[in-house]
Amino acid sequence: MTGGATRGSLRPSELAQASVMAALSAATAIIAVVVPFAAGLSLLGTVPMGMLAYRYRIRVLIAATVAGGLIAFLVAGMGGLMTVVHCAYIGGLTGIVKRRGRGTLTVIIAALCAGVAVGALSVASLAVLSRLRNLIFDSLTANVDGIAAVLARIPHLQIAADRLKHIFADALHYWPLVIGGSSVLSVVVITLIGWWALSRVLRRLFVIPDVHQLETPVDVGSVAPVPVRLRDVRFRYPTAHHDALGPLTLTLQPGEHLAVTGANGSGKTTLMLILAGREPTAGVVDRPGAVGLGKIGGTAVIMQHPESQVLGTRVADDVVWGLPPGEHPDVGRLLEEVGLDGLAERETGGLSGGELQRLAVAAALAREPSLLVADEVTSMVDQQGRDALLGVLSRLRERHRMALVHITHYNNEADSADRTINLTGNGSADNTDMVDIVAPPRPSVACGGAMGRPVLQLKGVGHEYASGTPWAATALRDISFTVHEGDGVLIHGGNGSGKSTLAWIMAGLTVPTTGTCLLDGRPAAEQVGAVAISFQASRLQLMRNRVDREVASAAGFSPHDRPRVAAALARVGLESALAGRRIDQLSGGQMRRVVLAGLLARAPRALILDEPLAGLDAASQRGLLRLLEDLRRRAGLTVVVISHDFAGLEELCPRTLHLSGGVLRPAVATAGGMT
Amino acid sequence: MTAAAQTAPRQRRPVVLLRPVPGRTPIHDLWAGTKLLVVFGISVLLTFYPGWVPIGAVGALVLTAAWMAHIPRGALPSIPRWLWILLAFGGLTAALGGGSPVVHLGSVVVGFGGLLNFLRITALSVVLLGLGGMVSWTTNVAEIAPAVATLGRPLRLVRIPVDEWAVALALALRAFPMLIDEFRVLYATRRLRPRQVPRGRRARRRRWAAEVIDTLTAAITVALRRADEMGDAITARGGTGQISAVPSRPKWADWVTLAIVIAVCAAAVANEVLVGPTIH
Repeated sequence: MTGGATRGSLRPSELAQASVMAALSAATAIIAVVVPFAAGLSLLGTVPMGMLAYRYRIRVLIAATVAGGLIAFLVAGMGGLMTVVHCAYIGGLTGIVKRRGRGTLTVIIAALCAGVAVGALSVASLAVLSRLRNLIFDSLTANVDGIAAVLARIPHLQIAADRLKHIFADALHYWPLVIGGSSVLSVVVITLIGWWALSRVLRRLFVIPDVHQLETPVDVGSVAPVPVRLRDVRFRYPTAHHDALGPLTLTLQPGEHLAVTGANGSGKTTLMLILAGREPTAGVVDRPGAVGLGKIGGTAVIMQHPESQVLGTRVADDVVWGLPPGEHPDVGRLLEEVGLDGLAERETGGLSGGELQRLAVAAALAREPSLLVADEVTSMVDQQGRDALLGVLSRLRERHRMALVHITHYNNEADSADRTINLTGNGSADNTDMVDIVAPPRPSVACGGAMGRPVLQLKGVGHEYASGTPWAATALRDISFTVHEGDGVLIHGGNGSGKSTLAWIMAGLTVPTTGTCLLDGRPAAEQVGAVAISFQASRLQLMRNRVDREVASAAGFSPHDRPRVAAALARVGLESALAGRRIDQLSGGQMRRVVLAGLLARAPRALILDEPLAGLDAASQRGLLRLLEDLRRRAGLTVVVISHDFAGLEELCPRTLHLSGGVLRPAVATAGGMT
Repeated sequence: MTAAAQTAPRQRRPVVLLRPVPGRTPIHDLWAGTKLLVVFGISVLLTFYPGWVPIGAVGALVLTAAWMAHIPRGALPSIPRWLWILLAFGGLTAALGGGSPVVHLGSVVVGFGGLLNFLRITALSVVLLGLGGMVSWTTNVAEIAPAVATLGRPLRLVRIPVDEWAVALALALRAFPMLIDEFRVLYATRRLRPRQVPRGRRARRRRWAAEVIDTLTAAITVALRRADEMGDAITARGGTGQISAVPSRPKWADWVTLAIVIAVCAAAVANEVLVGPTIH
């Protein structure tokens, strides 16, 4: 948690928090304005803003308000803008009170003062905007008069009609009082709701690990990160019990290509942090000059997650993002070097993982770095993207004189390096084996014979997003296949092949625009929940704060029903002791298993897994696969896996369907290359 | 396609946000700053002078721009039925409210004042929505933040951190679609779960509150992670600096546009102030 003592312009972490919370607040405000009957949602927009005010200085909150307000204005007009401003005002109030450690009484007093201010402001603006005020009042009067006229025709309601007219006329006469009073009331109520929600959320968020890693190094003197000498370097994280890295002695010369391999927990990423300028806890790091992280001629880092390190909305903008003013690299040439030529005007949102990573390489090259550190850049990229990315990395030295440190857990990626060092870790490593990339299996046709009853039947399924608008986009075309009871099917395809859409259709979450998806003979969309789906982002699927509550909520029984919780956990190979654990204390592999525990406890007709292995280390991957194979074989579970990878899936899924460009391709795919 | 006719019911057109209608037209090519200025200026004008003449003038501007930008009718989202019902109810009661001007139709006296007021306020909302829609339909998201930075440059003189705001805006626009995707998954997760309806109002309310907090916490957890990663990415770029590869400044077409809009607005205001407000 960062304190509020700093001054001056926003630091990277503050800026990122402001932006993401602004987007969150704008999203809630827009939904509240655009979607009917969702106005209540705007109450919750106060919480992200409250978080900002609680954790950071006021400057962060203001930047977030401006950014969020402008987005809401662009989409939902003045209403959206005002909603964000109100959320920031009220959220900021509760956040600051919370940070000062004050209680509900302070909040009520502050809310009263704020309410009076808001009320005075609305009355004053309506007083100035006399024409608009008269129009609104006249229009409302006409509505009320009309209703009264109808009521007056009905016997016995004459008096009610008169009273209605009079009350309304009185209210209009004293409009400053009415509007001022209702402002005070609504501000107080919204503040109290926001206070309640913020307090509850903060209590829950207390244990959230801060996953941010990089820090801006203190640069003294001119930038010159290589040659770098590490002597007996060790690193230990503040709360850890043993060293994450070292002792390590290593020299890196200019222009050298070094591969660093090792299992999860062996200190690979820690080495990246040291190279990027973190001070080691022991030992010496010797450089001729400053690290210059992200500076011209300094150190560039490319990280694991493709989506989150791209900062520009347009490809060309991302290449220059963050460069000092006046620095104008040849964007076209940089994009050509990484094989993205001609895409300068494209939006980054539509790029695949592999393309995004190559874009990150281009952005790094725009800084002409002397040292480039690539930290597991291929782990979230499909096979095709991986090949292209590795090709780009291995060709870098032809044009640039830079040292390249390539950190990877794939053995074969280290081959093109001059030198490889293997980090073994200090006993904290989870496992010591590495992953080998597996060639794709040949697509197999359903072998008849021992097939069970059909569970999912897709007939001519096609899907188009935003049909009838200029943005219509076809995701799937004429998909037909059947999944039988006890089947194991792998639906394989690259980014943008439509495989996620297909998964949503099979789970009944999306109704296909053409064709039918039947579950046991009835449309799947009428039986949401009967087919279980495990999404790629496990954390999003874990809604409760503790494992037992989560499993119980997903499965539909009481969290106090300990035996059932324990049985559900045992089924996915988790000990019952985990039941009391908080969700945010789980590892990635455990999260995925807890999701499965909840899903399986409902005895689903089929289980769909979207990229089940993404982001897991080798041991967790193998463990999960073994578990799923076991469930399929012993318990007869029907499994559909959606993935861009093949590694180790052939046991679980004897049948493979290739999806590409929204169409099922029967063609045989050969190792490494697909079209 | 025949299958479509058989199986799929007529689809609603969704609201598509922050994505321009494909194509390059003079309106698409206008500087984003011009569009922001126009929308902001016209919004202010209409809040001060919501008369028929300004509404009509702005409506004409919007229609002309939509025609020039080749906005197809399909860009408009489907209007839900409840909105039509609401409009009909409002119109009917307002019409029954009567008021001047009064028209004598033989022996019957009909007052149109209420209906006219109702129509005017409806037209005002439609025009304002259309104005916002025009920006959304013709502007690339990537152009907005640089335009804000350019427009806000004078504020730097009074030490307002406009550049910081522009960077925050650019990053928020970048994070926005990712968060929307995550919300979709959150919503789907909720749909997949069995509904547990506890007995008793108190228990139900507590259940409801717990669910709100759970959803909110999940959303914020995801946002916090996203922000941590984004912070790392900014650090890896050596902090902030440029946000756009192309300079963001008005061209002569922008000055022409601004001149036209100012002329139209001035005429409308002059009419309101000098000739007197529309029928009242």
